Amino acid sequence: MHELSICSALVKIVSAELQRQAPSAKLLKAVVCVGDLRQVIPETLTFAYETLVAGTSLAGSKLEIRHVPVTARCEKCGWEGALRENYFICPKCGGHDLDLLTGRELHLESLEVDNDEPK
Amino acid sequence: MSRSEIKVYRNLMGENDLWAARTRELLQKRRLLMLNLIGSPGSGKTALLEAMVGRLAGKFRFAVLEGDVETTYDAERLARLGINASQLLTGGGCHLQARMVHQALLDLPLDALEVVVVENVGNLVCPAEFDLGEMGKVAVLSVTEGEDKPAKYPMLFREAKAVVLTKTDLIPYLPFRMERCMEFIRQVNGQVPVFPLSALKGEGMGPWIEWVAAQRDGLNKEST
Repeated sequence: MHELSICSALVKIVSAELQRQAPSAKLLKAVVCVGDLRQVIPETLTFAYETLVAGTSLAGSKLEIRHVPVTARCEKCGWEGALRENYFICPKCGGHDLDLLTGRELHLESLEVDNDEPK
Repeated sequence: MSRSEIKVYRNLMGENDLWAARTRELLQKRRLLMLNLIGSPGSGKTALLEAMVGRLAGKFRFAVLEGDVETTYDAERLARLGINASQLLTGGGCHLQARMVHQALLDLPLDALEVVVVENVGNLVCPAEFDLGEMGKVAVLSVTEGEDKPAKYPMLFREAKAVVLTKTDLIPYLPFRMERCMEFIRQVNGQVPVFPLSALKGEGMGPWIEWVAAQRDGLNKEST
């Protein structure tokens, strides 16, 4: 259940960014990027989000989760691409020395707001 | 309704990472080695620490930060052996966070220490996600848990600086195959050193202690 602590950080950041960038707008959706190497269960994250925003000015907003696949570069042969799930071996040369390019993401990407509706 | 999109780029681990960075700075200044032991409940993390006490005693002064959901049993177990052990209780939380560890570190006599070992909450998933400012995460896997755990929990085994394979004295009684387990570890992390050992019998403890000592000595070299 580390999703709850990730989500409380998320809600704090969403509130602060909204206050800073569009204080009079209503939040419709927050978009987060989650790398596939992260062990974050989307349903749990969504449940935590809905629970935390209930009764606040963010209530009713949706959480959109975008998955980022695990990709890597092989230090030995230079191959670059997506990795088979949980298999960190270069599919071209069999090398183990892989540099992860993506897959560890965990960030707030954007906010979708309605500028008309008063808060 | 006029919809608009606001681009933001904010790391959700930002606050945790900030505390982890503070801890890293604190440790570097004092040339303190901090390891973060992560493994399932019952994988033998506390037994490993108990077996390390006597073997590290002549080499380094060390302290343990014990992470648990409830009870102070583990810290008491270690305190009986004369170890400086503090208990961090998460009260239901499944992992330690950098801020808790940073505050606990400040309560330790840091100038009188060379090594700090954090025993994380027993769990293979959540603790792997949180940087505590440690020099390295150590995955603790017991032979009774099965060979395929590294493939099932790749984040931890991918991030680990070392893997300790515990309870090897039980291998004769289990369908556990060492080669198969090594294959699974190599599949997620081709370079990580693996230390098969029995904390209970003492077999295999030597190379593990040497590795810990080498990490601490490495810190000295880097900062001189």
